[in-house]
Amino acid sequence: MAHLTVAVSEGAIKKAFEVLVANIAWEKQDSGDFGPFTAGYHIKGHLEGGDVDLRNDGTIRVKELDIKWDKLEVSLGLDIPEICVGGGCINMPWPIPDICLPEVCVFSDDPDIGPIALDFAAFVAQEVSFTGSIDARYFNASLPVPPGFNPCQLLQDVLIDNSIIEPVPDHNQWQIFINPQTVDIDLFDFPDIVGDLIEDALTAAITAIIPGGWVRDLILAIIGGIADLIRFVLDIPDEIDEWLSDLFNISFGLLDFLTTLVLDFFGNCVPIARIDDPFEIMPAEDSTSVLLSGATVTLVPVAIPIPSLTINVNDVEMVATADVGG
Amino acid sequence: MPFTDHSDLYGAVHDEGINRVVRHIMRQRPSLFNYATPVFHQRPELFCQKIDVADKVTKAGNPIFTEQEPLPIFGTPVPMGLNFCVQFTDFQIDFHPTDQFELPPELGSKLQPQRMAVRARACAGLDCPPKELIDELVPILERLNVAQRKLFVDEIGGDDKEKRAAAAQRISSGTQDAPVASIQRRVSVAAPNVTTGITTVPPRGRDVFVLPTRELMCFCLEVYAVAHFEWGTVPGFEGQWLKPRVDGIEIVDIAPTPMENAIECFVMTTLRLGILPRLIVPMEKMVLDVTAMLQEQGLNVGQQITLEPAAVPGDVPNNPAIEQNEIRAFINLNVS
Repeated sequence: MAHLTVAVSEGAIKKAFEVLVANIAWEKQDSGDFGPFTAGYHIKGHLEGGDVDLRNDGTIRVKELDIKWDKLEVSLGLDIPEICVGGGCINMPWPIPDICLPEVCVFSDDPDIGPIALDFAAFVAQEVSFTGSIDARYFNASLPVPPGFNPCQLLQDVLIDNSIIEPVPDHNQWQIFINPQTVDIDLFDFPDIVGDLIEDALTAAITAIIPGGWVRDLILAIIGGIADLIRFVLDIPDEIDEWLSDLFNISFGLLDFLTTLVLDFFGNCVPIARIDDPFEIMPAEDSTSVLLSGATVTLVPVAIPIPSLTINVNDVEMVATADVGG
Repeated sequence: MPFTDHSDLYGAVHDEGINRVVRHIMRQRPSLFNYATPVFHQRPELFCQKIDVADKVTKAGNPIFTEQEPLPIFGTPVPMGLNFCVQFTDFQIDFHPTDQFELPPELGSKLQPQRMAVRARACAGLDCPPKELIDELVPILERLNVAQRKLFVDEIGGDDKEKRAAAAQRISSGTQDAPVASIQRRVSVAAPNVTTGITTVPPRGRDVFVLPTRELMCFCLEVYAVAHFEWGTVPGFEGQWLKPRVDGIEIVDIAPTPMENAIECFVMTTLRLGILPRLIVPMEKMVLDVTAMLQEQGLNVGQQITLEPAAVPGDVPNNPAIEQNEIRAFINLNVS
């Protein structure tokens, strides 16, 4: 029996996933003046839906997680160089006054055209499905780096140089990796886009006709059900695609295939968590109470070896076990 | 059977795991478990039990014990002391069923369900100066006693009772420098002529003359205790409280038996009335506010997330449960 066991139920993982989805949102906007034209963007999005499932084959499946865009706006403005005509004077002989022509300028504004803003939020939505496992691997710092080209090392060096991940340790570690198996990304989630458009249009129409009351609420509920049905029907081909991917453990479609390859590479090279071996349970301490003279003694840290660490997933829970070395 | 059948989260620690961690701490922080006078730096072989130390402790030059002042010999004209050591040599825990150590018969030999046992062993060693050394020192100390009285009378003299009392206090506390220094000079000159190995320890303020040690008289005590946890109420306060309870204590092989019984009764009474009532924990204290923790990390979530112990007996029969050599905790994740 393991010395330490920690288990998390599928129910708890689902609750945590729902909290995560409900609280992940992003917004960013910027604009720039590039001389003859100005450009800007304003994006705002959040996650919706999705489900997480623990499975008996040791994998975790995140299914149909929607990326919704509240704003996906790009703006463009043109600054045409100013053109001015007139403004000159004709000198006339005395006593006739000089004749001056009025100056007329066009394209004086900046930008002259626009900015024209287009919001694609209503027409764009993505859906992501993902299957992966969690692996605990041992990093032995005493082993020499394998000779030859090492793509993992290359990626790690880039990420370390940019302070994205911690440097390669000089001591042994347990490293936790996410090992992706299949990824399904729908760049344009047509069932959701069509469903949302229909639902929004019908809701706006009904709200205009019936401002309030239970009759309106009832009709809106029926509309929501119809929109869901449309989403379900339109999503059937994608469901089949995901089912086949899951069945054969390979991503169909060039984008999914490439994404899986890239994530697999990242997953195998970049750990999501690290646990030092031996693991420090009491830090080094400057003590003045060990010697009668009161002199400071730096006591070494207390660390315990972790000879084994495993993470297993079954259809009801995720279980991590660890042993303490003798 | 899944671990999380009756709760969202589950954590268990095996008794062997705890015991291994304790052994690592003992090897890497020996100064927490061994206490002795400074002479043991030069003569570690005097310890009652050899101290097992990790290599890194030796390499770092860490002391293997915490220095203590010598055990004072009361009534001597100059501060004198004896070398001693106290070592906590073993600490083990055993969760039901019994597998780490056998319980003494007085505690039933085997653990009952939902019970845990603790075994602690401590050794103490005290220098016992040989008769010959005592015989040599007696005349010197008699002379010092007389000299001290003579100095006391010469310096203070008179019939003023208050002055005499104050002077006596100053001399005995060492703040009256002249007489004490004088006596100490005499000892330091006289003692090496008749004895070997008298050392001085300058602990705090004044020197203590430590008698030479050839070997310690060691004895070890083993203490066993059986305990369990239970949930209950506290009169006048709401909610459930987790209460540690001690079922029995046994100090092995102390004689005579009535003295052993009296000591065990005293320890048990102190634990039950003095210490354990302070360790009861209300359920509210065991609820972990994840939302607040996330907010401290700069993450604001819209929901209230808490981790709290699964209810007893609604969710699980025991929480924490002591079974299959583990202590197990069942926790629920609540999102509202």
